[in-house]
Amino acid sequence: MLQIRNLHIKYGSVAVVKNISLHVQTGEIVCLIGANGAGKTTLLSAISGLITPAKGEILFEGVNVAGLAPFELVRLGISQSPEGRQIFSAMTVMENLHLGAYLRQSKEERADVAADLDWILRLFPRLKERMTQIAGTLSGGEQQMLAIARALMARPKLLLLDEPSLGLAPLLVESIFKTVLELNAKGLTILLVEQNATKALEIAHRGYVLETGRVTLQGSANELRQDSEVQRAYLGKDYSRITER
Amino acid sequence: MKQPESQGKDTVEFSSPESWGQLHTELLQSTVNRVYTRVPFYRKAMEKNGIKPDIIDSALDLYALPFTTRKDLSDNYPYNFFAVPLRDIVRIHSLRLGISQPLALGYTKQDIEHRRGLAIRFLTSCHVIPEDIVQFCLDPGLAVKACDLAEGAEALGALVIPPDPLSTDARIRILADFKTTTIVTTPSYLVYLLAKIPEMGIPLASLSLRRAILVGESLADALRDNLEVEFGIQAISAYGIMEAGGPCLAYECENRQGLHVAIDHVIPEIVEPGTDKVLPAGEAGELVITTLTARANPLVRFRTGDITRLIKEPCACGRTTWRIMPVVSRCDALISVRGVLLDSTLIEKFFEKMAQKKLDFVIIVKNRQGLQSVEVWVSVSSEFFTGSLPDLHNWIRIAETAFEEVFGIGCIIKPVELETIARWLSTGQKVVHL
Repeated sequence: MLQIRNLHIKYGSVAVVKNISLHVQTGEIVCLIGANGAGKTTLLSAISGLITPAKGEILFEGVNVAGLAPFELVRLGISQSPEGRQIFSAMTVMENLHLGAYLRQSKEERADVAADLDWILRLFPRLKERMTQIAGTLSGGEQQMLAIARALMARPKLLLLDEPSLGLAPLLVESIFKTVLELNAKGLTILLVEQNATKALEIAHRGYVLETGRVTLQGSANELRQDSEVQRAYLGKDYSRITER
Repeated sequence: MKQPESQGKDTVEFSSPESWGQLHTELLQSTVNRVYTRVPFYRKAMEKNGIKPDIIDSALDLYALPFTTRKDLSDNYPYNFFAVPLRDIVRIHSLRLGISQPLALGYTKQDIEHRRGLAIRFLTSCHVIPEDIVQFCLDPGLAVKACDLAEGAEALGALVIPPDPLSTDARIRILADFKTTTIVTTPSYLVYLLAKIPEMGIPLASLSLRRAILVGESLADALRDNLEVEFGIQAISAYGIMEAGGPCLAYECENRQGLHVAIDHVIPEIVEPGTDKVLPAGEAGELVITTLTARANPLVRFRTGDITRLIKEPCACGRTTWRIMPVVSRCDALISVRGVLLDSTLIEKFFEKMAQKKLDFVIIVKNRQGLQSVEVWVSVSSEFFTGSLPDLHNWIRIAETAFEEVFGIGCIIKPVELETIARWLSTGQKVVHL
C-alpha cells in the first residue's frame, strides 16, 4: 500500500531523515521505534503532507504522493492522528468529529458520514457521552480517543498514528491499543509511531528501528522483541535484567 | 486478525520483482547503516573511499562498497568483525581455511533462527516429512554445515542421525538397520558408499534410501542421472558457505535449472576474478555475497572464491529468487576435497612447522571409486631424512594425525624421491589431481 524510497528530509540545512526506505502492506500494522529525535514524527509528517521531503519518493497505492498537500492526501486515503492530539480545544467533541469529515461534504456522502459517526461512537462510547462537551475539557485519554476518531472520520485506508499512548495512564493505553487492534481487524492499515516500544511491538506485524534519521534494523515484531539490542535500547531491559531472568 | 498480503515465509520466494527491489533497498540500507557505525573495518574502508551510508539508493549501488575477503575476516580475528556485543552472540564457529589466523563467525539467536528457517525451507522443498529418517555422512571439516541442516530436519520432526566420525562400514550398517530414507553427504562420498554397500553383502534393493541431499561439491548431471536411473535415488543439490548465509544459501527446485538463492537474506553478485568489475547476469565469474539479515556478522561484498553464473529470470517453478549455476571451479588457492576447503599455502606452512624446515612436496588429490582422498608426497632430502626409518615413520604418523586435526580431513603422507615430484615442482604446480 505504502512504499517509501530513499526519503531525505531537512529542517533548513539540518538533515533529519537520511535516506529512509520502508513499506507497509495492506492490512498490516507497522511500527516505527526509536529514540527522541530519530526522525519518526518527521517521517509521518512527510507522509501526511505536513512537510515536503528534500528528496525521495512516497508511493501510495503505486502513485508518488511526495509533496502533495495534506488535504489531497486525506482525499486519497491517508489520515493522521498527530502527536499531542492537537484537537480543536475550543470546539465540542461533535464539531471536532465533523471537521474530520471536512472533505466529505457532498450530498451523496452525507449518509456515509452519518454511518461512520455511528460506528466511531460505538468504538469510543466515552465520546458519545461527551458529544456536546468542549474538547479542551476532556481528559487526556478522551482527547486521544477524539484525535483517533477525528482521523477515522475521513474514512482512511492508511491511518498514521503518532504516539497514541503519550501521557496516558496504563489502563487507558491498554484500551487505546485494543481499539487500534480492532481497527486493524476491520481491515485498516496502520503505521504507528510509538515511544512505548513494548506495546507497539505487541500489536504490530513488523517494525523498523530508526537511529538518527536512518533505519538500522527491521523485521517482524517478534524478531524485534527478541533482539537483545532492541531490548536494551527500547524495551527497558538492561543487561542485568536480561541475565537475571 | 486479517492477514496481510504475502506475509508468510513460504510466499516470499514468489515475490514480484518490484517487491524484491523494495526489500533489497530497505535491507541493504539498514545493513550498511549498521556496519558503518558498528564494524570499524567497514567504517575505515568506506571513509577511505569517501563513501557515506546515504549513497545506497538501491541494490545497484552495491558496486560502490568495499569488498570483504577471508583474509580480512582472519586479520580481524577474533572480535573485530562482530556488529553486536559478544554477550548477544550465542554461537561461534571457527574456521581454519588457509590463513595464519582462524576465522571466527558469530551468530545471535536471531541468526540461528534464520539459518534454521533456511534449512526448513530447503528440506521442505525436498519434501522431507516427519516420517523421514535423515542420516548425515560428512567429514569433520563439513560437520559445521551439517549443524544447521540437522536442526532444520529435527524442527520438521524427522528422525535425525547426526554426523559422527564413523567408518564407512558402520555408516552402512546404520543406513540399513535404521532404514535411512534421506542421506546428506557429498556426491563423491555417496558414489563410494553405493559401491561399498553390495560389497558388505547388503542388497541395494533392501535399503529404504530414496533421497540424497548433496552438499559441499557440485553435482554432475551424469552422476545425478546415474543415481536416479540406476539406484532410484532422488539427488538434490545445495550450495552454501559458512561465512554468509550457511549451508542452505541456495538449493535446487524440481526443475533443476540452477540453485535458488535465498535473496531475502543475501544479495549475490558476479565479479571478474582478480578485479573489481561487476559482470552482468549470465556471465561466469566469482560469486560475491552481501548479507542482508545477519546480525552478528554482517558481511558486505564477501568474495567467495567460487566461480559460477547468476540467472535473474524467474524459474518455471514460479519462484522469482535469483539462481546460481553449480560451482565448477575456484579462483583462489583453495582446493575442495570432498567438500572440505584446503589451502595449499597453509599446507605448506603446516609441513614447514612439522619438519622444522622447508620441505619439497606436492599435494595429490586422488579419485578412487569416485571418492576423493588427499596424499602428500614429500621429498626425502638428505637434510630431512636422518637415515633412521623408524624415526621417519614415526614423524609421518604424527604429521598425519596433526593434519586431520588441523584441516578436518585425513591425508596419507608418502615419502618419495625428489625426482618423482620434480616435474611438478619445476612448473610450480602444488596440487595434482590423479
